[in-house]
Amino acid sequence: MDDMRLAEKAVNAAETKIAARNVQVYYGDSHAIKDVDIDIADRTVTAFIGPSGCGKSTFLRCLNRMNDTIPICRVEGDILLDGEDIYDKRVDPVQLRARIGMVFQKPNPFPKSIYENVAYGPKIHGLARNKAELDGIVESSLRKAALWNEAKDRLSEPGTGLSGGQQQRLCIARAIATSPEVLLMDEPCSALDPIATAQVEELIDELRGQFSVVIVTHSMQQAARVSQRTAFFHLGNLVEFGETGQIFTNPRDPRTESYITGRIG
Amino acid sequence: MTNGILFLIVLALAAAAYVLARQRSLAAVEGDIKKLHSLPGHHGQTAFLFTAVPALLLMAVWLFVQPMAIDARVSGMIADSDVPQGSSRGLVMADVRRISDGLDTIVALGGMSEETVASMRADISDVRSRLAEVGVALGSNVGNSVFTAAKAYRSMASTGRLGMTAAVLALAVAGLAFGLARVRPEFRARNVSERFVIGLLIGSSLIAILTTIGIVVSLLFETLHFFRLYPASEFFFSTVWNPQFRGGSDLGIWPLLWGTLYVSVIALVVAVPVGLMSAIYLSEYASARMRAWVKPAIEILAGIPTIVYGLFALITVGPILRDYFAQPFGIGSSSSSVMTAGVVMGIMVIPFVSSLSDDIINAVPQSLRDGSLALGATPSETVRQVVFPAALPGIVGAILLAASRAIGETMIVVMGAGAAAKLSLNPFEAMTTVTVKIVSQLTGDTEFASPETLVAFALGLTLFVMTLALNILALYIVRKYREQYE
Repeated sequence: MDDMRLAEKAVNAAETKIAARNVQVYYGDSHAIKDVDIDIADRTVTAFIGPSGCGKSTFLRCLNRMNDTIPICRVEGDILLDGEDIYDKRVDPVQLRARIGMVFQKPNPFPKSIYENVAYGPKIHGLARNKAELDGIVESSLRKAALWNEAKDRLSEPGTGLSGGQQQRLCIARAIATSPEVLLMDEPCSALDPIATAQVEELIDELRGQFSVVIVTHSMQQAARVSQRTAFFHLGNLVEFGETGQIFTNPRDPRTESYITGRIG
Repeated sequence: MTNGILFLIVLALAAAAYVLARQRSLAAVEGDIKKLHSLPGHHGQTAFLFTAVPALLLMAVWLFVQPMAIDARVSGMIADSDVPQGSSRGLVMADVRRISDGLDTIVALGGMSEETVASMRADISDVRSRLAEVGVALGSNVGNSVFTAAKAYRSMASTGRLGMTAAVLALAVAGLAFGLARVRPEFRARNVSERFVIGLLIGSSLIAILTTIGIVVSLLFETLHFFRLYPASEFFFSTVWNPQFRGGSDLGIWPLLWGTLYVSVIALVVAVPVGLMSAIYLSEYASARMRAWVKPAIEILAGIPTIVYGLFALITVGPILRDYFAQPFGIGSSSSSVMTAGVVMGIMVIPFVSSLSDDIINAVPQSLRDGSLALGATPSETVRQVVFPAALPGIVGAILLAASRAIGETMIVVMGAGAAAKLSLNPFEAMTTVTVKIVSQLTGDTEFASPETLVAFALGLTLFVMTLALNILALYIVRKYREQYE
């Protein structure tokens, strides 16, 4: 693990953005997430690691209530966004998802032009008063996603015509176009080659300036490279949560140590 | 020997070839299968195919060519004086074939010996009454040259049959010998039977294509025949449809085409919104249990025979539309109307639109829906802006399938819209369509010689060209507006 640049990770003592308390998730009869307590800090990259099927993606999807779209899924416990329970009856999940953006494992651009892909969120939420404002949002989102230079001459071409890495950056641009407060990323690099992965990781580091980022990853190197805090999930439990440097160099729980040294997983 | 028995003999030879080739291949390696390139079964298959396929192909071609060759030679033997006024050489040839069959029957029943038949002459013996005894009724007395032709036909047919039997059997035996001679351990029987399979598959697809071409060509010939008797300009540009079987008819296609389009458009106006919306409900909102009930229930609609829809149009929809819409507003007094047929036909094609669209919408990847929902879109925004555009090419295809069903529909129109060819804008008036008129021109006692019957082929061809154009248009739309998803 020589390539881990752990030392220079400065964790700002930022305030808590999302606080989860005693969260349980059930798929029908199976208990997928057990007693998870976690505080996700603002303007920080938090990585969720753990073996396949450990519940890290399921927990991620609780944070923007995407699990609501699965009929058999049931969530218990409290998840507070800025102190407000997102599972409260008064909270509209549709509005919530505009505040908490999400990027998926496989790039999923809509079958529309690059421009329309990015403009989709702002349009449905009425974020732009006119075409010029919309153009501005599209440009700044594409710039933030480091796609502007490649895409500016082909905005009217279909987003599905881009390469895999470009498609994933387009999806990131699409997610940040609605100016969310939190960006959830579910294994955003698992379908990408190493060069595209490096570009996306660089991007994640830049996005930290504006959002709180939560990333699920299977690559421990990636978690070490991009995150300031790391949570290790195992069999539906949150085993250990702490500063990335500490998790990778000095894990407290033997299961964490086994996983990062490659003995379980 | 009949064709069926010949066929069975060839198959029996082929089966024997299978068994022999299997044994021979095993014997060649003294039972050690590993030394064979192909399994014994493959050798058997190859020998089977070499025996059966060429022989059966020859039989098929022979059966197809022989009648044509004999007809061509015999029809020259009929004297012009024996072709009655108003009849044609083709009709007399039909008599020749029937007389020849009749003679066969008489000989088979033992009523006459071959020698008697050979010495029979039409002007001396009463051929007509002798034939009537065995159930062959002829319209007129048999002319001398016709009877000679019939005898020639009979002898040629029996020679031909004999020749075919000999040739087919010879080829089968030759194939068997060839197949067996090739059985050697290193012979690649497996690859050979693979090539036969490819040939079979290619042959099957060719049959489908050739049938389509055959249908179009036969329509085309009859249509050309029609246009020789009736001016094409009248057919395509006249607005009057008034067939008279005594001659002097007006056969303009426009009233029929108008009726067809009017009824189809009304049907689609009914079916497309209802079908699409139910498809969206089923695929996006309905729970799995609801879907398991509703989808088959809708598909039942597609299984109802169109004649039943016709009854529904005739006794329910027609009177309702007349009593509550047409008469109160003073726009029609007939229960047969374009509206009746259109509405009922629309109900009939709902399942085509809904069931196909439902499958297509379901095929849109879940990741696109997730992407849209994660951006804070509502389910209906997701359907409208992401799922629907992605599914559009398939949905257009579903709608066009429904349209071609509507254009080709006959029964509902007969019972719902009537049979009066009219050019009118009023949807509560009786009109009729191309398909209905094709049926009515061809039913009853008709001969395919007058423009009044031949017009059916021109109508059929027009309909075919219309649906073809519709399909090409659909392909064009789909290519142009396709939004790829992967």
